[in-house]
Amino acid sequence: MAKYIVKRILMALFTVFVVASLTFVLMKAVPGNPFLSEKEPPQSVIDALNEKYGLDQPLYVQYAKYMGGLLKGDLGVSVKMQKDYPVIKIITTMFPVSASIGLFAILWAVLVGVPLGCISAYYRGRAADSGLRVVCTVGISMPSFVVASLLLFIFCGGIASLKIFPTIFQMGNWKSYVLPCFSLGFYPMCYIARQSRAAMLDSLNQEYIKTARAKGLKTGKIIFKHALRNALIPVLTYLGPQVAFTLCGGFVVETVFTVPGLGRYFVQSINNRDYPVIMGTTIFLASFIIVMNLIVDLLYKIVDPRIDLGKESA
Amino acid sequence: MAENKIKRAKFGSLQPDVEDVIAWSELTAADFAPATSAEKDSFIQDRPSTSYWKDAWRRFRKNKVAMVALVVLVLVALFAFVGPMVVPYSYDQFISGAENLHPWHYTLEDQQRVAEELAARTGAAAADPETAVEQAIAEAEAKGETLSSVDIARIRASAKVAAESGSEGEATEAAVRKDLGIRAHIGGYSNAELQRKAAGENVFPHLFGTDRYGRDIMVRVMIGTRVSMLVGLCAALLVLIIGALYGSISGYFGGKVDAVMQRIVEVIYSVPEVLVILLLSTVLGDALLEYANTHTGFIANMIPVLGKNLISMFLAFGLLYWVTMSRIIRGQILQLKQQEYVTAARALGASGARIIRKHLLPNCIGQIVVTTCLQIPSAIFLESFLSFLGVGVTTPMTSLGSMASEALEGLWSYPYRLLFPAIILSVMILAFNLVGDGLRDALDPKLKK
Amino acid sequence: MAEQTTQRTDGAKDHKLLEVKDLRVSFFTPAGEVKAVGGITYEVDYDEVMGIVGESGSGKSVEAYSIIGLLQSPGKVVGGSITFEGEDVLSFSKQQMTDFRGNKVAMIFQNPMTCLNPVYTIGNQLIEALRAHDKSISKEDAAKRAMEMLELVGINNVEKRMKQYPHEFSGGMRQRVMIAMGLICHPKLLIADEPTTALDVTIQAQILELMKELQKKTHMGIIFITHNLGVVAEICDKVCVMYAGRMVEQGPVDDIFYRPGHPYTMGLLRSMPRVDAESHERLIPIEGTPVDMLDPPEGCPFAPRCEHAMKICLQKMPPYVELGEGHRSACWLRVQERLEQEQREGESHE
Repeated sequence: MAKYIVKRILMALFTVFVVASLTFVLMKAVPGNPFLSEKEPPQSVIDALNEKYGLDQPLYVQYAKYMGGLLKGDLGVSVKMQKDYPVIKIITTMFPVSASIGLFAILWAVLVGVPLGCISAYYRGRAADSGLRVVCTVGISMPSFVVASLLLFIFCGGIASLKIFPTIFQMGNWKSYVLPCFSLGFYPMCYIARQSRAAMLDSLNQEYIKTARAKGLKTGKIIFKHALRNALIPVLTYLGPQVAFTLCGGFVVETVFTVPGLGRYFVQSINNRDYPVIMGTTIFLASFIIVMNLIVDLLYKIVDPRIDLGKESA
Repeated sequence: MAENKIKRAKFGSLQPDVEDVIAWSELTAADFAPATSAEKDSFIQDRPSTSYWKDAWRRFRKNKVAMVALVVLVLVALFAFVGPMVVPYSYDQFISGAENLHPWHYTLEDQQRVAEELAARTGAAAADPETAVEQAIAEAEAKGETLSSVDIARIRASAKVAAESGSEGEATEAAVRKDLGIRAHIGGYSNAELQRKAAGENVFPHLFGTDRYGRDIMVRVMIGTRVSMLVGLCAALLVLIIGALYGSISGYFGGKVDAVMQRIVEVIYSVPEVLVILLLSTVLGDALLEYANTHTGFIANMIPVLGKNLISMFLAFGLLYWVTMSRIIRGQILQLKQQEYVTAARALGASGARIIRKHLLPNCIGQIVVTTCLQIPSAIFLESFLSFLGVGVTTPMTSLGSMASEALEGLWSYPYRLLFPAIILSVMILAFNLVGDGLRDALDPKLKK
Repeated sequence: MAEQTTQRTDGAKDHKLLEVKDLRVSFFTPAGEVKAVGGITYEVDYDEVMGIVGESGSGKSVEAYSIIGLLQSPGKVVGGSITFEGEDVLSFSKQQMTDFRGNKVAMIFQNPMTCLNPVYTIGNQLIEALRAHDKSISKEDAAKRAMEMLELVGINNVEKRMKQYPHEFSGGMRQRVMIAMGLICHPKLLIADEPTTALDVTIQAQILELMKELQKKTHMGIIFITHNLGVVAEICDKVCVMYAGRMVEQGPVDDIFYRPGHPYTMGLLRSMPRVDAESHERLIPIEGTPVDMLDPPEGCPFAPRCEHAMKICLQKMPPYVELGEGHRSACWLRVQERLEQEQREGESHE
């Protein structure tokens, strides 16, 4: 067990390292000087700036410095949007907003998606199942920006009688959170419902369900005790990638609803070509996703007793 | 043996009692003659065996949802590829005088009537404040009076108020239209176009309206759909080629080769793709542009043609998105490798490439087709996502994602600018998903739940 | 439900343990009705082991599932009757069926690897089976009974084993657990659906030995479904041979082995390896494939594969011919013999 966890953590660290190195390489691939604006300043200014940001040193020194900075949590400073303001501070102030919306989105996606999937599987082939399948297939076919902008139009003033929620995001006003959380969680909800339906159907077809029936157990017990527990295990594996997906959906949803979160800021930094912010945010979010995947992975191994962690090699 | 001929048979039950049979049925010696093998063969009519693809197609055709989705897909494709030839506008054409058109229009006569009615209702007060002031001064001079600056200011202010209340023109105009019973007609026309039409010229309507630069939205949606479809298809093909190659090599050779290749896959798998793609599209785009500007040659010339962001997007697909595909194919190959016919082929001295081509690939083709098909909508998803964020398809080229993002600005007044691309995009992805699901059910009956 | 005891109650003696009469089961598929079981009759009494033999797809499992009410849609019992101790099983309500299953009749399945729920401990699953039918029993008592049962089926170190998960057991051990789980409520009838097929030969013998032993202790009836005649010889008292949903031969185990009346049974016996066979004797497989159940032929379903097939075989379903005490066979050859015999008798009379 311990050996496996250590192995997985090392693997995750290596992935973070790969992502960080990739960002460094890409940053170097940017033509000219990523820290400068479009206009060519006088040579003396360039030299001064190069010295300031350590760009006059050889590449490997820059790389070592950059990696060293990462270890200390130093992600550099913004060069355009909030000049000379540390990226790490931008992240720490904006990430909580994104995280709270993402958390609610994932929560509702799971709490609604899993039961819907189970209901659908139980009533397989009947009207309830067909209806839910249609909704979920449509749901996974609508990009989050479509859902978000449609909701924005319908409920924030486009249709006067349905104007329920504020147009401009206000921190602390619960009404402002409803639509972003809903639209962020809609795709994962549909996805999770589809996956849990498949997993539940699979589980219901297993032989141990036959055994349970032969034992004379009641239908409720067969479904909730024997089928559901087994169906939930594969659903858990989808949760890791879903966390990442939700986070990225956050870029769009925050942009549409003007939420002052990290996602929107990240998009703005891309449009403004504020490279240190782009790099820093990428590394931060990538590490976050990798850690989430790691946690989900370990949880999965713990929940499923079949997996012997000591002997696991792959 | 006439004794054996007894009464007519009465085979009510499937397996009657022997006494009944002997007692009731007429059995002759001929009945007990040995049956020939030809008779035995004709006994069972084998149902004609159908080929894998025929069978799959039959199953697919039976699936109504998938068939409807396929038809929708064909219609969308026609819309995207044939549509731009029919519509006389081009996606980057700025039609002057046709800015901000709605997808509907009022005839010139109706407009005239509305304007007259409006003028009659609001009176001269609705006039421009400066003309009102001038009028007042003229009137005063005619009476031989002069207006004080305070008076002028008062007149100007009241005229302004009247004009501003009049500038709720939309509302009052709408009210007037309602009172007059004037209805909108399908298709947007600018007034200039209406006049040309009145003159007998054949003017193509702006069915989806126009954007704020006077570009026809329908043609832009067509081109955007075309871009999305092409990106989806190409990305799926790219993923298929790389994934299938990587997966089959890794699975077939096994051992150390497999171990190393799978380690690489594991690392790529845990890299958050969307972030890296965003990064690649941002950074690589600029780098490519620089390369195109400073170098010559085929690659450099291709960059502006394809658009820097499209190239980086495909690069990202090629680098990151084949992982799932390669895993599926590797799994299939590993499973198939255990099968006896592969061992048999190997024992007969077939080469590795031949075994992959002749035995392994045909057996996992179903899953490959399904995975590829489901890759298309996810590629379209990603393309529209990137375009929406402004790092996908760039101007002057357009895409459904970037159109939706542009539409956000005027969302309150022109919701259909969002609606049209959003609906087409969603319908297209939905159709691809449904066709993919249908293919999965048809090609791999084992997978069907 | 009456309290179960290891001794059969006297009242039950009036009835046979299980009587199946002309049972028909069909599957209603989109392609049409598949007559999986077409008219089967047999009975099983206490202390008796009844073997059902047939190749895959012959309907032997389907028939067993309908006894215990496990038939899944689109399968349906379309005719006949099943009587258990005088009670009509087919008329049971849902609740009665749930009480009946696992309590009076238990079933164990072919693959012990997949039949135990992987996410619950063995103890949990055993206790659950007990408490499903006896709500009054306390958890401690149930655990005690479960451990007794495990010891009875030959599992050592039960306290530790109770807390383990199925994957920590070997295949043979899991089948022992399955048997313990089936017998924990002291059922009167045990249906074993190919319980040894997925196991190693040595383990097979152990499991069979265990089942015989347990039957001596509990006096239960057993229906043993298998395609392995060797297993039948070892454990069964009676045998019922099925082909394409029909019972082609039925009788005491010795009659079936030494005086088979149906060419299919003969074929099965010939294809069975024997220790006492001469070294040059070869196993003879049965040629051909089974019939298409969607569109079953008019005559005897085995006719196309039968070396003795006659014209009548292709036209009409053969009737059962009594060959001995409880030994019946459905084959026109036997009808022919019977007719010839009658004719001889008639001639001698004249």
